[in-house]
Amino acid sequence: MKALRDKYCIVGVGETEYSRASNRTTRAMAVEAVRHAILDAGLTAGDVDGMLDYQGGDSTLANHVAPDLGIRLNFYMDVMGGGSSTEALVGLAMGAIEAGMCQTVAIYRSMNGYSEFRIGGTGARAAQPVRGLDLAQVPFGMRSAGQNFAPTFLRHMYEYGTTSEQVAHVKVAHSKHASQNPKALLKERVTVADVVGSRWIVTPLHLLDCCLETDNATCVIVTSAERARDCRPRPVHILGVAGRVSKPRLDFHWAHGPITRVAGYYAKDIVFGQAGIGPDDVDLTGSYDAFTFTTMLQLEEYGFCKKGEGGHHVSSGVIELGGRRPNNTSGGHLCEGYTHGMSMVIENVRQLRGTVDDYCPKAAEGVHTYDYAPGRCRQVKDAEIAMNLGWAMPPLGSALILRR
Amino acid sequence: MELDRPLPSPITPEAKPFWDGLRERKLLLPRCQACGHAFFYPRVLCPRCHARDIGWIQASGRGKLHAFEIAYQAFHKAWKIKPPYVLAMVELAEGPRLMTNLVNVEPDPKAIKCDMPVQVVFSKLTDEITLPLFEPVR
Repeated sequence: MKALRDKYCIVGVGETEYSRASNRTTRAMAVEAVRHAILDAGLTAGDVDGMLDYQGGDSTLANHVAPDLGIRLNFYMDVMGGGSSTEALVGLAMGAIEAGMCQTVAIYRSMNGYSEFRIGGTGARAAQPVRGLDLAQVPFGMRSAGQNFAPTFLRHMYEYGTTSEQVAHVKVAHSKHASQNPKALLKERVTVADVVGSRWIVTPLHLLDCCLETDNATCVIVTSAERARDCRPRPVHILGVAGRVSKPRLDFHWAHGPITRVAGYYAKDIVFGQAGIGPDDVDLTGSYDAFTFTTMLQLEEYGFCKKGEGGHHVSSGVIELGGRRPNNTSGGHLCEGYTHGMSMVIENVRQLRGTVDDYCPKAAEGVHTYDYAPGRCRQVKDAEIAMNLGWAMPPLGSALILRR
Repeated sequence: MELDRPLPSPITPEAKPFWDGLRERKLLLPRCQACGHAFFYPRVLCPRCHARDIGWIQASGRGKLHAFEIAYQAFHKAWKIKPPYVLAMVELAEGPRLMTNLVNVEPDPKAIKCDMPVQVVFSKLTDEITLPLFEPVR
């Protein structure tokens, strides 16, 4: 697998508006996001001959999206899944191209995550019948992602002394980043007191520890490094990828082994091994923030700090713009909007190009002030290596390392 | 009487002895007859050695609270119990962990601690379904 290091690139990224009332179909949004990514890459529809997408029965499949764009496909696959799919599908796109099945792959996710199908467990999802493995949890009130992950979060606090205040710094940092992001749904900076003072959802999660269910579509385009040379933007090279790496048990994760351990424990050697680098070489991260705790747990498990010291790490300033290794510089799922991981890869690509869309007047030309006061700049200076830590659940995650 | 929570239905064949046992106020656990591994949730084969010969043992009903969470809203339409309520992951003395609710305790983080000893209480919902809930050992 090391042979693929630097052989593939992300050449195009795009998205729709982030909103809580798109008033559009997932089909229309997917078409717009893919088109934006094609334009960003400087390609035409005829250059894209592969398509991958992921969803949970809540979106439009590639066989509708591609024809709407006039794209004839040599390869496509619709995948079931949410978080952690982004990085996994980047790896599958590389594999499909390497196998000779196609040459350039558009990966999209389209969801009316607020106005139609809410992940948080309210809305239509809350009326689903109790079947199969749900027999062992729904009768006790278990339904939502936050409830599913909470045992891991709470046990981490118990075993390592992690506090709500420490973890609240994740939201504080991401809100600081979102204040520099014209696209972000929540641009207002918040404090630790705001987070721990917000209402409980399920312990140890306050409202502001949870991400924002959002309507949006997103797209990234993967092609070979050779073809990337003909694309408009500076190519961003893929150094390593790990896709949907699991702990020994995926169902009832809280019932097996150390529950404070997350999938990064198994993914880190795969992804760092391919890339030939270590955590110290990484300039910025996109650690999936479905909740404040998920960012903290993953940074810890991938070795950005010692196991158990995640609370100290995220509250030390390291993860903020201006810190040693900023995380989720777009504001992430907590503040920019919930995209099932796509937006964090998109953001890292833009960071490595040096053309992140902040409030600097010449941002598109790569001219930034590096002034991180509210409403200014969010470009990380001289960012060379970026890493994505994709999360689905405590026992399931993906990772991606990119270089400029 | 209107039920206050979603019922487990239909019950799968491999889980039937578990629910049958609860009707008689017994907490039964599947145990592999070949390798002796006790596990939960009930499955068609032993997740450790793949033997299909699954027997049942009666658990002591005692264990430790491995983790818990206090929920402040309902996440399922059929859930009528007034929040806050406590979801609990109990590690039974026999080894397996199961999900349940912690009852007969204030739903207050100060009153509940990880690893505290707990014991089963049986809550009859219908003629078919009795749920194993847990309470602190006093």
